[in-house]
Amino acid sequence: MMPEQLDKAFDTLKTYDWGVDPNVLKPIDEAINASHGDAAARKNLEERLIAVLKTEASRAAKDAVCRALKNIGTAAAVPALAALLTDDKLSHMARYALERIQEPDAGQALRTALPKVAAKLKIGIIASLGVRGEATAIAPLQALLADGDAAIASAAAHALGSIGSLEAAKALDAAKPGAGTKAALADASLDCAESLIATGKKPAAKVTYEKLLTSNPSKLVLAAATRGKEACTEK
Amino acid sequence: MMQSSDQKKTTRRDFLKTTGLTTVALGFPTIISSRALGNADVPAPSNRIVMAGIGLGNMGGGDLGNFLNNKDVQYVAVCDVRKHKRAEHKGRVDKQYNNGDCKEFGDFRELMAREDIDAVHIATPDHWHALMVIEACRNGKDVYCQKPESRTLREGALMVETARRYGRVVSGGSQRVFEDYRKIVNQCWSGELGPIKSINVNVGPMSQACNLPPENCPDDMDWEMWLGPAPWAPYNSKRCDGNFSCNGNSWRSYSDYSSGGMTDWGAHHFGGATYAVDIRELQPTDVTLVDEGGKKYVALKYPNGVTLTHNRPGKGNLDVEGTPGEKRAPKPVPGYSVKGGIYADFINCVKTREKPFRDIELAVNSTAVSHFCVLAYTLNRSLKWDAAKQQFIGDEEANRFLDRARREPWQL
Repeated sequence: MMPEQLDKAFDTLKTYDWGVDPNVLKPIDEAINASHGDAAARKNLEERLIAVLKTEASRAAKDAVCRALKNIGTAAAVPALAALLTDDKLSHMARYALERIQEPDAGQALRTALPKVAAKLKIGIIASLGVRGEATAIAPLQALLADGDAAIASAAAHALGSIGSLEAAKALDAAKPGAGTKAALADASLDCAESLIATGKKPAAKVTYEKLLTSNPSKLVLAAATRGKEACTEK
Repeated sequence: MMQSSDQKKTTRRDFLKTTGLTTVALGFPTIISSRALGNADVPAPSNRIVMAGIGLGNMGGGDLGNFLNNKDVQYVAVCDVRKHKRAEHKGRVDKQYNNGDCKEFGDFRELMAREDIDAVHIATPDHWHALMVIEACRNGKDVYCQKPESRTLREGALMVETARRYGRVVSGGSQRVFEDYRKIVNQCWSGELGPIKSINVNVGPMSQACNLPPENCPDDMDWEMWLGPAPWAPYNSKRCDGNFSCNGNSWRSYSDYSSGGMTDWGAHHFGGATYAVDIRELQPTDVTLVDEGGKKYVALKYPNGVTLTHNRPGKGNLDVEGTPGEKRAPKPVPGYSVKGGIYADFINCVKTREKPFRDIELAVNSTAVSHFCVLAYTLNRSLKWDAAKQQFIGDEEANRFLDRARREPWQL
């Protein structure tokens, strides 16, 4: 691919909007694939993508950039992506990239944004923290288990279930289920306990199952927790 | 470095496989019994399996018809983001029962919350499948989910985990896996081809990025709900059309919602191929991008030594390479639990609590083949896969493709 084609694709991002043929951006994807293993080329591409996020480019253009940064973004891209987390229209695409960037900075950005957003955006950030398995987010997620919005509390429960550590299990065990959160808490506890078993922590998993069994569980949870508890006694 | 929940689900597959045995010892069946059982030729409505459908376009309408005509089913509710589809299919159901009882829903969560519903069938666009299957299992429903069952590799693993957690009967949706490849399946399982070395599948194309221009959204359509967990985009009729083409005029054409023919027909062909050569329960260890004279194809090597190739030059669809001159002992061919096809198999398994022919784990494994091929072509390189850890080995960039962040407020 000629450098001019790549330059033209980046230039197009300035005016890119819904309805423009997405193939005009293909040279960027091709350059990303061609630069696998070439740190300098990747750094250059990443810098050019980040620069677009700092402009007044359209939502469609920034959407395309976030998709590319999902694949190659590093800690260098995190500040520009983090700035979008509180934006109603771009928060999801910022997470689209941040959720998959392994560097701790990405998790830190999500944690920092968590108290700054409300309702739906908060649920999105909670979900991304869970998918990332962010151990350092356990305390703020635990606090959200008591949120008055059942959707937020339930999202926090599922995120803790996804994290699946001893600390996450303790947070879930300590939570007081509300009318709208009992099922989510139970599911998250089961999720968490399965992770504990899978990582050889059967005694801790058993504690979670026993807690569930004494919580007036639904028939569904009763059966799942009974099976799980029995699995904890197997050698 | 954080440990992502992709990584955390390491050996759960083993745990969830063993819990079935545990439950037998406990007196619990592997799959929890539905309350709806009946032995009469035509069970009373109160003894039938109470069902509802979500996503009632092309395949959903067909699925509805098949379940509606099953004497063991009492169909009670329909859900779709398009009002006219809901009304149309409520009409079908009410006509069948000669009443007006079928309820309409625009939000599947309200339908899932109904405790009287035993099972749901799901035929939404692919980007919704995992979320809905998981939500159904959490609500104690059994599920028949159209293929391709997952949109990402992580979704597939979570669908299996949740189904096993709650002991649900979850069937994938390809009727062709059992019905279309009988000759080659029987040849392989009879042992007449000897030990199988390889099988090839020809299928495609892959889906593309979508950037269609905005159009006015019909009043009839809940566009936010259609998009659901996918990135926001303006309404365009071609973006959401449910026709079976992958040429830009349907959601199957676009990568936010589908992997195109690779997963759509791939679910059938890869399902049939993995069934024929008995690798349904496995996932590959090596995903190799082969360049043969400038023509690229993918070869997936399985732990038992079998190789599954995609679009290998010179090979036909489901071309099998056995071992000439050798025979192998025949094995009984797995199939549906009852006569009547995949729908009857699902309903029977809801009653017996057996795993259906297209049990979700097998369906997820064959859809995963499509995902592996898409990824190898997209990244233009070979990959190594750790099935126990559900991770690509030594390839952080490939692991970024295991999943995609869902648009708020959707979460698995």
